[in-house]
Amino acid sequence: MSKQTRVMCRSGLAALVLAGLVVAVGVPAMAHHAFGAEFDPNRPVVLRGPVIKVEWVNPHTWIHMEVTIDDGSKQVWMVEGGTPNTLLRRGLSRDTIPVGAMIVVDGYQSKDRSARANGRDVTFEDGRKFFMGSSGTGAPRDGRDQAEPGR
Amino acid sequence: MRKIAMCLGVLAMVSLALASGAWAQGSDIPRTPSGHPDLSGTYDVSTLTPMQRPRALEDKRFLTDEEAAEIAAQELQRNTARQQDSDPDRGAPPAGGDGSAGASGNVGGYNSFWIDRGTGAFQIDGEWRTSILIDPPNGRMPRQTEARMAAQSAARAARGAQVQRRANDGTAYWLEAGLDASGPYDNMEQRPFAERCLLSFSSTAGPPMMPALYNNHKRIVQSEDTVMILVEMVHDARIVRMNAEHDPPEMQKWLGDSIGWWEDDTLVVETTNFRDRPAYSRGSKNMTVTERFRMESADKLVYAFTVEDPTVWSAPFTGEYAWPRSDNKVFEYACHEANYALEGIMKGARVLEAEFRGEDPEGVVNPTR
Repeated sequence: MSKQTRVMCRSGLAALVLAGLVVAVGVPAMAHHAFGAEFDPNRPVVLRGPVIKVEWVNPHTWIHMEVTIDDGSKQVWMVEGGTPNTLLRRGLSRDTIPVGAMIVVDGYQSKDRSARANGRDVTFEDGRKFFMGSSGTGAPRDGRDQAEPGR
Repeated sequence: MRKIAMCLGVLAMVSLALASGAWAQGSDIPRTPSGHPDLSGTYDVSTLTPMQRPRALEDKRFLTDEEAAEIAAQELQRNTARQQDSDPDRGAPPAGGDGSAGASGNVGGYNSFWIDRGTGAFQIDGEWRTSILIDPPNGRMPRQTEARMAAQSAARAARGAQVQRRANDGTAYWLEAGLDASGPYDNMEQRPFAERCLLSFSSTAGPPMMPALYNNHKRIVQSEDTVMILVEMVHDARIVRMNAEHDPPEMQKWLGDSIGWWEDDTLVVETTNFRDRPAYSRGSKNMTVTERFRMESADKLVYAFTVEDPTVWSAPFTGEYAWPRSDNKVFEYACHEANYALEGIMKGARVLEAEFRGEDPEGVVNPTR
């Protein structure tokens, strides 16, 4: 078996095993509740504005942000994220998303027509994800990146 | 006299070793003063290894070191890709939904930094595994019984007479059967246990206890007569009564009735007395789950389970996976206090129903529309 074939076989097997997982990251197959029950696919949103509060709570974190709409008035939107436990364990806190930070969120408005949306993609205003800088899980100093200096 | 002195000396040494918790039969696992393995501690059970083996692998139970490394490398590659910057000028996602399936229900989930599903396959006794299931030998779930399949077909047919659940299209589709027709959001008690903060999901408490997308930590607190297993997801705490009898069968519990005993250095836990809808949702109230906890080393517990339910499956099945010890803590979940989602789901259904009736429910201006 050539080296190239061996590599292909290995990759194929890894892909198979990973494909066997019931989850695809970014698209939770199972979560505390079905996002499809809460949010309306006919009401897409993209929100830009400063963070004004972060509720670092279970079952889901909520990021509050201020959005200026076309007529110049301001709305406070709540954006639903994931469990805070994962981030707390990595040494991160609600201060990681500081009040005043400008963020961009795309998602869908809640079916109840309130100013809530799911945080399908939540980034800083320049497109950066919140927690980069590790080759591990995406959080800095999560302990899984041996190359990362000083925990 | 010399023999007696020697015996006393040996006894003293054994007592000393027992008291220090260091006594072990050829291993360095921690032990309680009574000599049993001390399982107390916190474990991170996340793994990329799936419950069922991909069919194409057939009876291939093990991975080579290279294959395991490749799985970890691919996951790392995926994580790295997911961490790339997004377009700062991006617009809203497509109207009508983004096509996502499962719990994401056509509206998408959330960023991957919330997720912690592990970084690789697991290893037991030096062997990398291709699946959690080891019996049946092909690593696949056994066939369901004819009776179970017939019951499921009948249940589907009965549902068909009512409203068919549909993919999320942002309408009160259940009212198509009539403005008084019942739907999936009429009453909070119709909603899943997890959504109501009653039980964890993905069978993280089970039994059997399975790995999930995040919140994969367990904490074991062990005494001579009770073993408690705290599950990070939602707030389940399993209580195992040691050397006890099962409660009468009419006493059915959310997590079943668990009793335990030691077989050499293995903690065996047997659970029966489930309710109609057990946390392991594939099973039924007739399940018997037998779990086996053994320390492979001081740093790794091996968790094994056998599930028997002759009313659901044609044969029992057995799985096992590694629970490495973790220095992390199990954080409180405190589900009810901020469970805004349940309120949003119920209110949202009322708004969609009002729209269906031709009313124009009030709401905030959507800045993107």
